[in-house]
Amino acid sequence: MNTLILISVLPILLLYLGVFKAKNALLPVTVIGLLAAAGLAIAGWNANATPIYHDMVLFDRFSIAFSVITILSTVLILLLSKDYFEKISSHVAEYYAVMLFSLAGIICMVSYYNLTMLFIGIEIMSVSLYILAGIKKRDFASNEASLKYFLMGAFSTGFLLFGIALIYGATGSFSISVIRDWILTHPRGIDPLFHTGVLLIIVGLCFKLGAAPFHFWTPDVYEGSPSLITAFMSTVVKTAGIAAFLRLFQSAFSTISDFWMPVLLVITVLTLFIGNITALYQQSFKRMLAFSSISHAGYLLFAVVALGAASANSVLIYAAAYSIASIIAFGVLILVQQQADSDHFSSFNGLGKSNPFLAFVLTVAMLSLAGIPLTAGFIGKFYMFTGALSRLQVWLVIIAVVNAIISIYYYFKVIVAMYFRGGEERTVLAVPGYFVFVLGLSALLTIVLGVYPTLIADINF
Amino acid sequence: MSTFYVIAFLSIVFSLLVIFAKNPVHSVLYLILTFFTFTIHYILLNAQFLAVVNFIVYMGAIMVLFLFVMMLLNLNKDTEPGKHNLAKLAGVIAGGCLLVVIAGSLKALGKSEPVVLQNPDLGLVKNLGKVLFGEFLLPFEVSSVLLLSAMVGAVLLAKKEPRTV
Repeated sequence: MNTLILISVLPILLLYLGVFKAKNALLPVTVIGLLAAAGLAIAGWNANATPIYHDMVLFDRFSIAFSVITILSTVLILLLSKDYFEKISSHVAEYYAVMLFSLAGIICMVSYYNLTMLFIGIEIMSVSLYILAGIKKRDFASNEASLKYFLMGAFSTGFLLFGIALIYGATGSFSISVIRDWILTHPRGIDPLFHTGVLLIIVGLCFKLGAAPFHFWTPDVYEGSPSLITAFMSTVVKTAGIAAFLRLFQSAFSTISDFWMPVLLVITVLTLFIGNITALYQQSFKRMLAFSSISHAGYLLFAVVALGAASANSVLIYAAAYSIASIIAFGVLILVQQQADSDHFSSFNGLGKSNPFLAFVLTVAMLSLAGIPLTAGFIGKFYMFTGALSRLQVWLVIIAVVNAIISIYYYFKVIVAMYFRGGEERTVLAVPGYFVFVLGLSALLTIVLGVYPTLIADINF
Repeated sequence: MSTFYVIAFLSIVFSLLVIFAKNPVHSVLYLILTFFTFTIHYILLNAQFLAVVNFIVYMGAIMVLFLFVMMLLNLNKDTEPGKHNLAKLAGVIAGGCLLVVIAGSLKALGKSEPVVLQNPDLGLVKNLGKVLFGEFLLPFEVSSVLLLSAMVGAVLLAKKEPRTV
């Protein structure tokens, strides 16, 4: 609870700092505040968690682990924001504030114990993101991204809310524990009200997660938004979405998995194929990352399809690996975009000679996203596939492996461009210190997690 | 009971007029009347809070928005553009599907016992407030973050930038 309070109050402090023109204090205060919030969350690790405030929230180990991972990813992304927002406009404090509000919503999403809290968390996160997507006011792509995201988001919220209302109508409560008990005491076939509600909730959450066939807003929104915001959307938001998904289905709907499992299975397979095959045809690095984020949503859904005791662990490690690698990719993209003013693959040509460090960290990130051994991405995929195999879903794993092989092709496109396509000499990119820190740390984490996965894989939920 | 039938009849008449009015402004005005009849329905159901919210938010705020958009886009012409044949066909199919669904669900309909409310004061503002500030206090407080974020964002997006980028 302290984490949530701190993250809700911190943006207000930042707004005051903005009023008093203390621009240089913004980033340090934000980072220190977020680290303190993460520390407060970890402090409650061994506490015996019970639902608090009339069963509204439950800060158990699951919620702590995901809160910490989203907070730390946000810190890494914010460190990349040094001098980034200043180029857009002079109201820097507001950007930080809105981003932190969004994080407060995410904390609600990973620690809810009542569907109203889930809904409010998703709304806080989404409304802040609609704003952040459109902060480049004079850029038509950014305007388009914001409007599309808003319309699609509002539409999907309708599905989610309708699903929650139907479940309330059937069970008479929003509380997850009451819903779980209701399922146990009503073991009859299919209740039209309740099961329609479950399906509508799946639709609403898949919209937020960007899983096919509800993914069509993703490419345009990710491409049009400022790169830093896209990094936030494709890492932190996706982690929060899958955490909310897993929490609901693990604690409330796990006993009726026969009903929703086939639906999610189809969604997962569709997501994998659509994400990977469309990514093959992309010429823009940013748009390729958008489609690859769709396919990663598919891999993340594995944990829900093969629901078991280890699901939370595999989602945690996969989400961590994916977030770290994506942060590297977007960090390098921001630098290259500033120099070449384009996010086309060809703007990476010759980066291996001019900036060996950038080329190396981006290679590590791409290998991790593709799931090559000795990187964190491999460990994430390994845990996901083991979970699925233990539920005897051999075909699903075969399809996923085929997709992983397809993905290697487009991830290697950028590596090939950096090292083997030189042409004219390119000028050396100036890499600010913050970027060196974030990119170096992320690359190090990717390799360390790849070699010693037990660091976070053995966390006991 | 007779009040209900009168109001229900009026609701249907006004909502039909919304569709059949040629002038969009008249259409919106009929929509306001439709919403007003809904407000009366809520009062008949003893749901005071819903009635007040419906009156203020729907009839007041949203309808004014509708009228503003029509004024700004200059839509108050009597003639509406002719629809494409394909659109007409799609409309007929969609309407037919809806009719089938309604007919099907009406067939499955049985006359139920009249529902007697356990607590006739259920929809009163007082009870709603007690639930909102008791059981649902945390979501209520957390929604303030939502409103604040939306407010900051609205100012951020609407404020004029001093320099052109």
